[in-house]
Amino acid sequence: MQGVKAPLIRIAGVSKHYRSRGSRVTALAQVDLDIARGEFVSIVGPSGCGKSTLLYILGGFLRADEGAIEIRGRGIEGPGIDRGVVFQEYALFPWLTVEQNIAYGLVNAGMERRQRDETVRHYVSLIGLQGFEQRYPRELSGGMRQRVAIARTLACEPDILLLDEPLGALDALTRETMQDELLRLWQGTGKTVLMVTHDVNEAVFLSQRVVVMSKRPGRIVDNFAIDLDRSRPREELMVSDAYNEMRNRVWLAVRREAMAAAA
Amino acid sequence: MLGLRAFVLRWSSLALLVAAWELAVVTRVADPQFVPALHDVARALLDLAFEKDLWEGLAVSTMRALVGLALGTAGGVLIGTLMATSARANAFLGPLVATTYSLPKASLVPLFLLWFGVGNTTNILTVFLATLLPVVVGTYQGVKSVPQVLVWSARALGTSPLAIVLRVQIPGALLPILTGVRVALGFSWVLTLSAEMIAAKTGIGKLIFVYGESGAYAYMFAGIGMILAVAYAADRLLVAITARLLHWNDGIAAHREGTA
Amino acid sequence: MTPQAVKSAPMPPSPWRNGISQAMCEALVRILRFLLPLALVVAGWAMLSASGLVRPIFLPSPLEVARQLAVLQEEGEILGPLWTSIYRAFAGLVLAVVVGVLAGLAMARSRLAYWGLDPLVALGFPAPKIAFMPIFILWFGIEDLSKILLVAFTCVFPLIVATWQGAIAVPRNFIWSARAMGTSEPQLLRKVIFPGTLVTIMSGIRVAVPVALITAFTAEMVAGGGGLGGQLMYAQRMLQTPTVFVYIVLMLLTGVVFDQVLLALRHRLVPWLAEDEL
Repeated sequence: MQGVKAPLIRIAGVSKHYRSRGSRVTALAQVDLDIARGEFVSIVGPSGCGKSTLLYILGGFLRADEGAIEIRGRGIEGPGIDRGVVFQEYALFPWLTVEQNIAYGLVNAGMERRQRDETVRHYVSLIGLQGFEQRYPRELSGGMRQRVAIARTLACEPDILLLDEPLGALDALTRETMQDELLRLWQGTGKTVLMVTHDVNEAVFLSQRVVVMSKRPGRIVDNFAIDLDRSRPREELMVSDAYNEMRNRVWLAVRREAMAAAA
Repeated sequence: MLGLRAFVLRWSSLALLVAAWELAVVTRVADPQFVPALHDVARALLDLAFEKDLWEGLAVSTMRALVGLALGTAGGVLIGTLMATSARANAFLGPLVATTYSLPKASLVPLFLLWFGVGNTTNILTVFLATLLPVVVGTYQGVKSVPQVLVWSARALGTSPLAIVLRVQIPGALLPILTGVRVALGFSWVLTLSAEMIAAKTGIGKLIFVYGESGAYAYMFAGIGMILAVAYAADRLLVAITARLLHWNDGIAAHREGTA
Repeated sequence: MTPQAVKSAPMPPSPWRNGISQAMCEALVRILRFLLPLALVVAGWAMLSASGLVRPIFLPSPLEVARQLAVLQEEGEILGPLWTSIYRAFAGLVLAVVVGVLAGLAMARSRLAYWGLDPLVALGFPAPKIAFMPIFILWFGIEDLSKILLVAFTCVFPLIVATWQGAIAVPRNFIWSARAMGTSEPQLLRKVIFPGTLVTIMSGIRVAVPVALITAFTAEMVAGGGGLGGQLMYAQRMLQTPTVFVYIVLMLLTGVVFDQVLLALRHRLVPWLAEDEL
């Protein structure tokens, strides 16, 4: 696998339990996963399999009950700006404008005014929202909101991007456009990305590696390396045999888990 | 022009009602001893406009209501935020809030009279306690309803715990907080007037009662009309401020129309 | 999760002999947790008065207040005034419900009624109704009637608004399909709109009950004429501080008891509604 490089993120034997109405539910059971610097990894699996839980633990919002997580050889002490997180919905501050939302993390970091304005301008143009700087989130479409959320996270220049179903709330067409943009961003910046999604096509189209999780208690059951030539345009790539074979293999693995969950 | 027409149409029924009142008294259908005629009330109001009694009374009462409301709002936001963010604080304060919510705060006036005597302390303290609880409840519910992902996003963007409260949880809770403040504003007038009617040397509530006891009913009606007008204006002002503060909020249109 | 998955899920192991005693135990713990802060406050009060820092005329001990309660009960000064206040509150509330529901339905169904009532509601809703107390005393005296009417006047506006909002929220196709089946306007009101509005009316009443009690107590304090509020003011004038405390605690308890009764009734009457829908 990615044995050549030392992993940036090392997840070893991580378990997480919830208490729900007095009984204990295991959300994650003994998850092991290594992610190399610059890698784009997706986690897919049936809903409720704990894939988002794993992401929240990496984000530092939740704590693992067992096991160890190391980023650059260090444990996690709560959230940090080295890890940027994008959530599915409502993650923009509704009382701040597009500009203010993107500047939010920069203000926290104590960046001086002029440099901040410049950075904000750069990211506004990166996501193509020039002219919308003074708008509030409620005045934007779903796709625009999600672009702002991604820009707000990128502006802090995190090494690692944690994406929790980032395109889940979008309609099919917008979703494809956003996938293309995400791919372009990743190729342009070389960030390490971990994305949770339930869309197999999305995972295969974007990722270098797709990890399949089982139904609850979530554990990793499959790990597919995706080797596709992503310089080809979407129309060509998505009808290619290589893509379809990969997609089918992942889809079958996910379906097996989903059927097991329903049984 | 359309706005004016709608305005006239909306309030025309009230104008008819007022005209009916005047007509009923003038034609002696209503006993003028019990119902002063509208023109007498108007004359009383004109009289009062040139005396300092009314203005002083209104100023004192408004000061008591607003100072009490300001203290109650500050305390309410503080306590409500504490309850929403700390399980221990909630375990202690929750039952106290639930138990004292339906206590008529006016019942504490006799006690405060005993402790602090007649005056501003008694009045303002009563208003403070009455306005505290709706703001506590509004803030608590508001902070609780701020989406978890918003707090998480802020933390991931390097926000300190105190800044999370000030920059995320309170702004996110602003609509329920201000709804609580609106309820509290209503309470502030009721408690100011009640406390003044129970025991006070100054204030519009006292003034109205003095007019009533001395049989100056036209003056009593004029005084009541004035305090109602002030209370109504304060409510509209708060609604306008709320709409301005919350122009970014989806739910604000509904709030503005609610109980117009 | 599918129903099968729910069924096949193992029951959580219970340390108790059966589910019922566990539920009772949990309820007991919840009640004790609720009472603990109140007990702490009373304990603080007792300690403060026992410390001798405050003169008993300003702060009698809880024990003395309890003793005074027994004395007042003996003299018939508890249940009589309590009943008077409750009677005034509920007579006013019933009046407000009748008038409020009729007015709210009328506003929803008739343009004329809307035209006539809307300005009154807009002005009356935020008004501090206690300001009208001197007028009500002038017109209706200082006995029951002025208080009952002030309670009704205070509670009627939220009830009108609740009914009106409920009635205009009845889906239009309900009304149209009823119309299409030849339902007359009175029938429409009785069979379609009123039942559809019942839930909001209920929630309006729920909000109005504590308001009615508070208004009755306050009106009695302002105008005199018996009831708990009147008695409270009388005790204050006589500087009988323990009696003042007895009546304040009684008002507090009345509010809490009615709140609990309403909560229980709500679960009985409309079990299909979720917590936040009422």
